[in-house]
Amino acid sequence: MTDITKQAISPSRSLVSQEAIQVFYRLLAALLICAVLAVLSDSFLSLGNILNVLRQASLTFFIASGLTLVVLTAGLDLSVGANVALSACLAGTVIHQTGSPLLGIVTALVVGGAVGLLNGVMVTALRIPSFIATYGMLWVLNGLTYWYMAGDTIHGFPAGFRQIGSGYLFGLPIPVYLLLVFLGIGTLFAQRTIWGQEIYAIGANPVAARLSGIPVTRRLLLVYAVSGTMAGLASIIFLSRLNSAEADIGESLTLPAIAAVLIGGTSLFGGVGTVFGTFVGALILTLVLNGMNLLSVSANWQPLVTGVIVILAVWLDMKTRRRTQ
Amino acid sequence: MQYRKLGYLALPLLMAAAFTTQARADGETIAVFTKNQTNPFFQTVRVGADNMAKVLNAKTLHYIPTKPDSIPEQLSQIEDVVVKKPSAIVFTPVDYKAMVPGVEKINDAKIPVVNITDRSAGGKFLSFIGADDYSLGLETARYLLKALSGKGNIVIIEGVKGSLTNVDRVRGFNDALKENPGIKLLASQPGNYQRLQALQVMENLMQSNAQIDGVLAANDAMAVGAIEALDGANRKAQVIGINGTKEAIDAIKSGKLLASGDYNGFAQGCLGTMMAIRALREQPVINEIVLKPTIITQDNFKPFDVPLESRICPTFEEAVKLGVK
Repeated sequence: MTDITKQAISPSRSLVSQEAIQVFYRLLAALLICAVLAVLSDSFLSLGNILNVLRQASLTFFIASGLTLVVLTAGLDLSVGANVALSACLAGTVIHQTGSPLLGIVTALVVGGAVGLLNGVMVTALRIPSFIATYGMLWVLNGLTYWYMAGDTIHGFPAGFRQIGSGYLFGLPIPVYLLLVFLGIGTLFAQRTIWGQEIYAIGANPVAARLSGIPVTRRLLLVYAVSGTMAGLASIIFLSRLNSAEADIGESLTLPAIAAVLIGGTSLFGGVGTVFGTFVGALILTLVLNGMNLLSVSANWQPLVTGVIVILAVWLDMKTRRRTQ
Repeated sequence: MQYRKLGYLALPLLMAAAFTTQARADGETIAVFTKNQTNPFFQTVRVGADNMAKVLNAKTLHYIPTKPDSIPEQLSQIEDVVVKKPSAIVFTPVDYKAMVPGVEKINDAKIPVVNITDRSAGGKFLSFIGADDYSLGLETARYLLKALSGKGNIVIIEGVKGSLTNVDRVRGFNDALKENPGIKLLASQPGNYQRLQALQVMENLMQSNAQIDGVLAANDAMAVGAIEALDGANRKAQVIGINGTKEAIDAIKSGKLLASGDYNGFAQGCLGTMMAIRALREQPVINEIVLKPTIITQDNFKPFDVPLESRICPTFEEAVKLGVK
């Protein structure tokens, strides 16, 4: 690739630093929440609780990381939670039937990825707006999962498999390693590869992207497939951590994942945002709930507080963005 | 008392009725309305209804909202059913207040209807068969507090805040706590009936509370989530759940769960269908049965540890006894 095209599709130097400023503000917000919680609760700053928060944030992050790429292209994937549920239920069955966790993991990734790819096909080939296509997919997946499970649960998995979600390695929970790995891969992919830069370009201006020779369709297919595959990965973590799967696990996963992406500063209009920001978004959401549990905030107030924090985070984002531009 | 009297009155009538009306009234269609396909409780209700219909030579048709507990969906299902005109309806409202207009539609269409599980706030019913969430919470909590000899630290994991089931169950929990001044309530936090949320809440609560002796969870999925969190931290506490799901029974068997309060969903399905068919065959019915909660423990889990399909419905004579509050 020549320097000129590279320049045309990759964000300019100043834009990159603006991204950095945005992420910095978010980290600051997260640290502020941490500082407040540390003052209010003795147990907040314990190592145990910090690992706890990271492990809890990881599940939201896995789902949200793939979703970030979709949102970067100005799309949305509403089917991720339902995808987690179906993948978990099928993977759970495979592990029960074959006794092989590996086959279960493969099943979850393949099912998750295939669902994602199908979303991509609907968005590209059929030109259905992603909001509608993935909303439809949500229903299809829920229907399949409800029918398949018939109100049952699948539970009890081999101890080795349980390690993925519940185990420790050198004192750190295994999901935290996975979190770091996928945070690294996601950031490198989005920030440092041509494909990643092309995804930003598609979100910023799809027509310009097409005209400058970016294979828009293929990149969109990739993005939705990645989002689905990450849902498949999340389903494995879910299964091994909770030791069971049921049909309605997805409902409570989709919106926090979307919220993490948006709190993380990725714009719904596409082209702006980072995977690292999404990680901070997932962290903020987890911190808020963790803090309310530690402080025994009444169950009545928790949704309200969460809602206010989400709105504040996005408002703060818009404000700082306007100032830096 | 009044039910027992009713039962004595009913017996001779029943014998007479068996000879005169049964033959001509075979093969009725009973439309069974339940709230969702995700809660295992309603699966037991449906199997109970099918079981009873089979015994009495009738058929069942199931109406379940595809989106769990959807008010508009159940309303439109009622409209469909009124057109289809089944012989009778066994009805669980997805919302006890909001579905009253729906029940009135059924009444206007002159289709006989039995109310099960959640008591409708209005409309005319042949009978009501249910259990009450308050005594379910109270009795299950009492069992746990007794197991702890009335002292120790307790946490409550609540269901969806504001839902009727949760309000009543948690009220029951709290009343049981009041009877035991030696018990300290550390926290009452929401898990929204979701196992992942319950697991995370438990992880968080363990950070700020070094000693937790008992967990009162408003359903089994959350109880199992809490147990996973305890296991993960190598801590022990007595945990109770509510619903008597298969998963809970497995956990009781293996000694991980202390007890689960059972709502007798299977019996509710059986008896609701029985009353509907009996009314059609002009046999006496019982107007109200409020089932006592069953506390499933290690001592009595055996009858619950059989596949639903091979459970046996109570007879009318047994129902007469069950009717006694």
